[in-house]
Amino acid sequence: MDAEMYINANSFIHRLDPRVKIVTFLLTFVAILLFQDPLWMLPIAILVLIQIIISKAYINLRKIGFVLIVLMISSLILWNLFSTGETRLFWRISVESLLYSFARTILMILMISTGMVLITSTRNEELVNGMIMLGMPYRVGFAISTALRLVPTIASSAVTISQAQRSRGLDLDSGNLLERVRKFLPLLVPVFISTIRNTNIFGMALESKGFGAKEKRTFYLEFKMKTSDYIVLIFGIVFVAVSIYFAVMGFGKIEGLIRF
Amino acid sequence: MAETVISINDLQYRYRGQKEHALDGINLNLTSGEFLMVMGPSEAGKSTLAATINGLIPHFHVGKLKGEVFVLGRNTRDYSVAQMAEIVGMVFQDFEAQLFSTNVELEVAFGPENFAVEREEIKRRIDENLDYVGLDAQRGRPPSTLSGGQKQKLAIASVLALKPKVLVMDEPTTDLDPISKMGIFEITHRLCKREDLTLMMVEHETEEALYADRIALLRNGQLIKIGPTREILCDVDTLEKIGVMPLGIPKFFKSVGFEELPLTPDEAVDAYRQSTLKISENKFNGIIQEEKADLEKNTKTLIQTKDLTHVYKGEVHALKGVSMQINKGDMVAIIGQNGSGKTTLAKHFNGLLMPTQGEVFVNGLQTSEQGVFKLGQSVGYVFQNPDHQIFSEKVFDEVAFSPKLRGYSEEKIKEYVTEALEAVGLEGQEEEDPFTLTKSGRQRVAVASILASKPEVLILDEPTTGLDYSEQRSMMNMVRKLNENGSTIIFITHHMWVVAEYAKRVCVMKDGDIILEGTTREIFAQNEVLRDAFLRPTHFVEFSHRLGYTFLTAEEMLTCLEGAHS
Repeated sequence: MDAEMYINANSFIHRLDPRVKIVTFLLTFVAILLFQDPLWMLPIAILVLIQIIISKAYINLRKIGFVLIVLMISSLILWNLFSTGETRLFWRISVESLLYSFARTILMILMISTGMVLITSTRNEELVNGMIMLGMPYRVGFAISTALRLVPTIASSAVTISQAQRSRGLDLDSGNLLERVRKFLPLLVPVFISTIRNTNIFGMALESKGFGAKEKRTFYLEFKMKTSDYIVLIFGIVFVAVSIYFAVMGFGKIEGLIRF
Repeated sequence: MAETVISINDLQYRYRGQKEHALDGINLNLTSGEFLMVMGPSEAGKSTLAATINGLIPHFHVGKLKGEVFVLGRNTRDYSVAQMAEIVGMVFQDFEAQLFSTNVELEVAFGPENFAVEREEIKRRIDENLDYVGLDAQRGRPPSTLSGGQKQKLAIASVLALKPKVLVMDEPTTDLDPISKMGIFEITHRLCKREDLTLMMVEHETEEALYADRIALLRNGQLIKIGPTREILCDVDTLEKIGVMPLGIPKFFKSVGFEELPLTPDEAVDAYRQSTLKISENKFNGIIQEEKADLEKNTKTLIQTKDLTHVYKGEVHALKGVSMQINKGDMVAIIGQNGSGKTTLAKHFNGLLMPTQGEVFVNGLQTSEQGVFKLGQSVGYVFQNPDHQIFSEKVFDEVAFSPKLRGYSEEKIKEYVTEALEAVGLEGQEEEDPFTLTKSGRQRVAVASILASKPEVLILDEPTTGLDYSEQRSMMNMVRKLNENGSTIIFITHHMWVVAEYAKRVCVMKDGDIILEGTTREIFAQNEVLRDAFLRPTHFVEFSHRLGYTFLTAEEMLTCLEGAHS
């Protein structure tokens, strides 16, 4: 199914302990946020790129490629409007704002990518179990995983529904914006109805399999920290620590940048 | 005397907001190791009864419950559904909604995990149960990539992993194709031999009831009759009366005056050989001639495909060079397993899909030149699930949707809607809310909403799935009437008896191609090929084969009889 993001592979990243992956994900976020200067973001960008290649997340990134390009273009333009600097080039554009817009765009792309690496390489259950083992309550974790699970189901029924309505003569591609929005009603109502119906059965099936029967439950998935997990974790922590050191020392800023 | 496992006393139940009782005065005892089949028409209370066994009623559904249900001494009122799950397993009809995991093994582990079973033991149970249902090879796969039949098998395995004493299955095969149905039934045949497991199954397939120990017939929430399988299945009149499909074989022998009724094809052949019954060759040949002549009248080609190939996403070859044609006035059934390409083929007829290679012509023009909107005018497509298209608050608006989009005048729309509703037997219900109708009512609204734009060809994707026997009959009688009034009908179905009784022509599909095409009788005569495509004619057709003929229905054979049974 198209909306399913997990890719069933056995890469180095897939084999890592989900806890390590979640922590690395958070560490990456920190590292991304530390510097303003795109040059200083290069090391973390390279690390994320390596992750994307190993985990095969590029397959998923390609799927949302159109959205990414739109985001990139608008981010490149907008950040120039929201910042300025001493070295004017033309109109409102300056060297500093140009650099800054680059940095912000890279930041956004990196954040999306690192999230994509996580969900490409980690099963629903692993992700949730990992979060639970890092301290999240089981029911909250289960709710998250159910929400993730529902996306592909809804997507596939939406495809069928749009085919059914197109067979009846519904033309979604013409008309002005308002007309188009109104045309979505014949799609939305059946999607809602069938989703509600499914959720109802889902709830019944859930209880029928003993969900919440006991205070404590066991987890079949076993997580053992392997050497590779420790190496990745230590590397991540050292990397972020060093980055923080440089950031605190004042490196990686864009001199003369003025933000609004 | 075996131990009583389930004991239901004076059970009465009414859903909140309903006037009628869904269950009314049910008394029932089930002993350990027993297999009970629950049958009855839609809205009879079958699923409601199933839901009382593991406590979904009264805990999950809101309503008013009187009387008691005990399972192994536990009163369902006093235990939560989750607690009951330890002793009662439940398998639902909808195989999509009852799986939650991203991996087959984890799905089986889910139940035991909830009961804090040790990891080693969970592993043992995963191995045991995946092996039992035959999903060993799929253990690492995400359930979403499994076929419908495999999903249902997984659901069974995941429930068995809790080691229940009772297994309740609520129409587990209704949404499945024949081969998957067989797979599930094969599992139930093994399950019912287990002495430690009590099995209760809601099912529409009468031929499968032969494996049960007892059958309970429900209607309007009441237990009409319960008894040993043979006794109930021989009671053709009661079955017909409450709307459960009787078997063709006992029905036939009852009509010719037998007292002891055979049930299976084996018994039927013996009974026939020992009787004085004889089939008139003349009359049989007469039927065949008549059929031929009938089809030869349809000469105008409406739809034609030439070497039609369709490839999904550049990798899945769903159709591999299909060439076929459909003439005006045809009533064609397309049969085959899920994934054989039936729906993909049909979606080319109204332009929802375009050929990857090859050509599709409708009324002499290529579909690629016409587009869905224009094609939809001549080729109407009724999707399998009416809930995937109904969105209006009134039946009238729903049915008028398509003619409105096609720009007809107010009067014309009104006229077309009225005609369409008459055709489906919903006249005068324009103001009803379609969501309050039964499944078969909604199915009819869906058909009417397509009919209202006056297509020449009507495609119905599994029009009888999810309906009970009498609803299936009235749906197909309606379709036949449309055909007699000039509509060309193409229907996709898994119900062999529907094919036998209603189709004039049949296309059998397998692996993306049509492997067999001909009159319904010609097709059903090809036992070997059908078996290759994993299709199984009804018991009655099989019985007639063994006598050297191909009769599609009991009625047909009756008209060809010479000499009576004395």
